[in-house]
Amino acid sequence: MGFFFNKNKKSDQQLKEAYFTASQVELIRSRFKSNKTAMVAGWILTILILMGFFSEFLSPYQPTMAGRDKKYENGPPQIPKFWDENGFSFRPFIYGTKRERSIKTNFRWVVTVDREDRRYLRFFVDGWEYSYIDLEWDLPGEFFDVDVQALTFSTHLFGVDKGGIHLFGTDKSGKDIYSRTLLAIFTSLKCGVLGVFIAFVLALIIGGISGYYGGWLDSFLQMVTDAIRTVPQVPLFMALAAFLPQEWSAEAVFFVIATILGFIGWPTLARRIRTHVLSERSQDYILAAQLCGASSGHIIRRHLLPSFTSYIIIDLMITFPYMVRLETALSFIGLGLIDPVSSLGSLMQNVSKADVLLNYQWYFIPVLFFITFILAVVFVGDGLRDAADPNMIKKK
Amino acid sequence: MIKFLQFIMIRAVMSIVTLLIVSFIVFSMMELVPGNCAERYIAFKNTQGQNITIEDIQAEERRLGLDKPYLIRAFTWMGNVFFQGKFGDSCILRLNINHLLSDKIWLSLGMSIGALLLSYVLAVPIGIYSAVSRNPIANNTVRFISYLGLALPSFLFALMIMLFTTVYFGESMSGLFSKEYRDAAWSYAKFMDFLSRAWLPILILGWAATAFALQTVRALMLDEIDKLYVTAARARGIFGRNLLWRYPARHSLGPVINSIGFDLNRIFSELPVVALIMTLTEMGSLLIDALAFSNDQQLAGAILVILTATIVLINFITDIILALMDPRVRQGLLG
Repeated sequence: MGFFFNKNKKSDQQLKEAYFTASQVELIRSRFKSNKTAMVAGWILTILILMGFFSEFLSPYQPTMAGRDKKYENGPPQIPKFWDENGFSFRPFIYGTKRERSIKTNFRWVVTVDREDRRYLRFFVDGWEYSYIDLEWDLPGEFFDVDVQALTFSTHLFGVDKGGIHLFGTDKSGKDIYSRTLLAIFTSLKCGVLGVFIAFVLALIIGGISGYYGGWLDSFLQMVTDAIRTVPQVPLFMALAAFLPQEWSAEAVFFVIATILGFIGWPTLARRIRTHVLSERSQDYILAAQLCGASSGHIIRRHLLPSFTSYIIIDLMITFPYMVRLETALSFIGLGLIDPVSSLGSLMQNVSKADVLLNYQWYFIPVLFFITFILAVVFVGDGLRDAADPNMIKKK
Repeated sequence: MIKFLQFIMIRAVMSIVTLLIVSFIVFSMMELVPGNCAERYIAFKNTQGQNITIEDIQAEERRLGLDKPYLIRAFTWMGNVFFQGKFGDSCILRLNINHLLSDKIWLSLGMSIGALLLSYVLAVPIGIYSAVSRNPIANNTVRFISYLGLALPSFLFALMIMLFTTVYFGESMSGLFSKEYRDAAWSYAKFMDFLSRAWLPILILGWAATAFALQTVRALMLDEIDKLYVTAARARGIFGRNLLWRYPARHSLGPVINSIGFDLNRIFSELPVVALIMTLTEMGSLLIDALAFSNDQQLAGAILVILTATIVLINFITDIILALMDPRVRQGLLG
């Protein structure tokens, strides 16, 4: 008993010690973990990102025209079942469909479900090939052309023995909405990450210089930053997106869109970084480093940057949903990534007709994913911000 | 008083400098779009069956002043915009831009400012209430709505409303005027017709701004409400609405006024998208036309400059209001 008590006391002491010697990152992590909403959002976000990353493995069909199901256009979602009036089956199944057009159907294609025709779900089936590393750059000059394909697989999580399975239904050309949604999440994610990264590099350079050197350089850079911040973002984005030639490949358009996002997003970040630098610059440890004869570059890299890395990451996390939203809005009105490319915006473009709401409600499934995705990112960002702000504990 | 005038002057100069920087950037962007006006005009003539040569294009360039160096053209354009308010002609539509935009600007600005007002009328009381009340249901609802404002962008919101009204009421809510008033001169009847249709786009435009303003007001109130001066006031026996409005609300109003310019910025960002979905024929959709479908850089530049100028003007006004409202600044300036 005494031994027990002793140990408890010691661990208490250790806990205290651990608290006072914990690094900034550890403190933020432990505070973040105690925020339930943010944790749930974090898990949802992780799942979505994983779904996006393994989208090829998870989706039975190619999300492009190549993977379309000609016999099942505008088809409703097919949900696998375990039983129906014809009995129970351990292996989930869907029904086969027939597509016909005759006088009876007023000469329109009508898809009918044949409840006798069971199609069983198979797992880890062999399907179309995909590779995780697939670089095909056609750069000027023979020498620079890159064509690398590695980590090629053709296994997919599920499929059916004959015909097709479309969990979220198909769109008007027969493309599988489930496969497209998964890829779209990843496309939007990539676009946002790339945009945030470009914005971050620009902001770090401009905000860092402005905050560290101060003086007239600071005033001038602040003026330019503020001027750019006053221009409304979407119209500016539209003006920049107008440079895109129609005949560019999907990849090129994707990179340009992400770059524009970065170029639009940097001013807000630059201001935050400038404030961080400005408040840290006058601290004693910087003065000490300067007196020791450290160069500006050394001080910025080794002392200033580490002092607010965690805050910067959080700032980036907060900026991220705005980027994704901007891309989606632009793709939605047809100025960003357009239909053959699967992005959340280009998928949502399909829902903008009254016809869809009446007849093809499953087109709205990507919209739900978009909302979930954005909400998850926002909650995680907010949770991180609260966790990084020591004053928040007092308030709660 | 002199100090105050000085303050206004400095702010005015700063606003003008901001506008100059923006218009220079906009002009540079217009220049970057491939093809210039002369080629457009000539290309148009080409479709009319005329044969054209390189000399024709060069002559046209000389006529339009496009052969002059870049900086001179930039300053001429900026000078025209600033001192005369002239944006020149649009090459694609071959129309005067000022003529083209005149009443569309007022409609767009009116709607945006209406949306701004709406968002503040909603956000300020609700934000204050949710910060003060300890009612968890109200609090969580407000939080949820303000998050939804981000996750359900106004283009989706607009789309949902459009789809539902079309499908379930059979009446399309699109457009700003009914048929009989579209080309009529402004009158009371036309104004009422406008109001009966404009409330929906105003609501949708205000939606995102409301969500953001709500969050701002709530956070500011939460910051202020635990401060010592509020406790001191409470100790003196002031309570309820009296306490709120006289102490913490007044304090947190400053940053809120400061954020008006950025909220307007946000609304302008929503404007083109919402305009496209609701087929409003005002400025926003004109911008989309100008950029997406015809590459009309002159028109796009003009719209960008006008939108930015509005924001700069609002920022200038809010700065002055803020200076007048805040006793610390006021006393420093007015002596």
